[in-house]
Amino acid sequence: MGNCLKTPTADDISLLHEGRAGSETGDSSENLGPPPPYQEEAPIYHPTPNTARPVTQLTEDEQIRIAQRLGLIQHLPSGVYDGSKKGRECVICMNDFVIGDPIRLLPCCHIYHKDCIDDWLMRSFTCPSCMEPVDAALLTTYQTN
Amino acid sequence: MSEAQAALLLRKQLGDLSKSPVEGFSAGLIDDCDVFKWEVLIIGPADTFFEGGFFKAHLYFPKEYPQKPPKMKFISEIWHPNVEKNGEVCISILHEPGEDKYGYESASERWLPIHTVESIIMSVISMLADPNDESPANVDAAKDWREDYNGEFKKKVRRCVRKSQESV
Repeated sequence: MGNCLKTPTADDISLLHEGRAGSETGDSSENLGPPPPYQEEAPIYHPTPNTARPVTQLTEDEQIRIAQRLGLIQHLPSGVYDGSKKGRECVICMNDFVIGDPIRLLPCCHIYHKDCIDDWLMRSFTCPSCMEPVDAALLTTYQTN
Repeated sequence: MSEAQAALLLRKQLGDLSKSPVEGFSAGLIDDCDVFKWEVLIIGPADTFFEGGFFKAHLYFPKEYPQKPPKMKFISEIWHPNVEKNGEVCISILHEPGEDKYGYESASERWLPIHTVESIIMSVISMLADPNDESPANVDAAKDWREDYNGEFKKKVRRCVRKSQESV
């Protein structure tokens, strides 16, 4: 009790100075010292749909499977929504496609926002609209071409 | 998709449902500040023992929605083979795609990112009318349903219906 009413100590004043230096000059870099070493956050993958682990904690088999999946996804046609089909929405995020949105086309001809569908395909390799397995459909596409 | 996008998608559904309500249930947020936690009131489907009941349930959406399914729990007491005794709803569409060799085994029955509050509740309503006996979450309710449908099962369900009417 009563701690919050204490008179300012040396520590409090130093905190005030730091805060002011940062906000007033707008350039606090000289007060912060050297930047911390560069650290990129490890991307998270889903070796199975209900597990999520950073890339550094995957087994070799999981890494191979995920790399294969990434490779397959890269093979799916993608592009930019050009408005040729009006009033279409991405059924994953329920937002209308806007001209310029990156989109991906699945072999079953369903289209989605690239970010929406790529995230899903890493979890399950099926079209959310028609449930067609994407890899089987890919094979068919290759055979017919 | 980010948490912000998940919140946006849920807000959109909330708006759509309040603008054009769907027959059979009503939906809203438990707390207006948290769009990830919903409260729904399900009307017991006609021509079932659940008819006349108003069953309250909560839906808890993960930050990764719609890539991941929500969890659903009945707050009202309910006696059903696919609802745990603690109220947790156990239906396949709320399960993530299983761990199987090809990653798409029975994909149609599992979670899909195109499911909405409406499609989930519609599945739950059809589950109330038509339990899945193969993987019961409440073994005792499944036994009643299988062996004494018009006796013990009916009695317990009707008791839940009465209780749900009192609490509305």
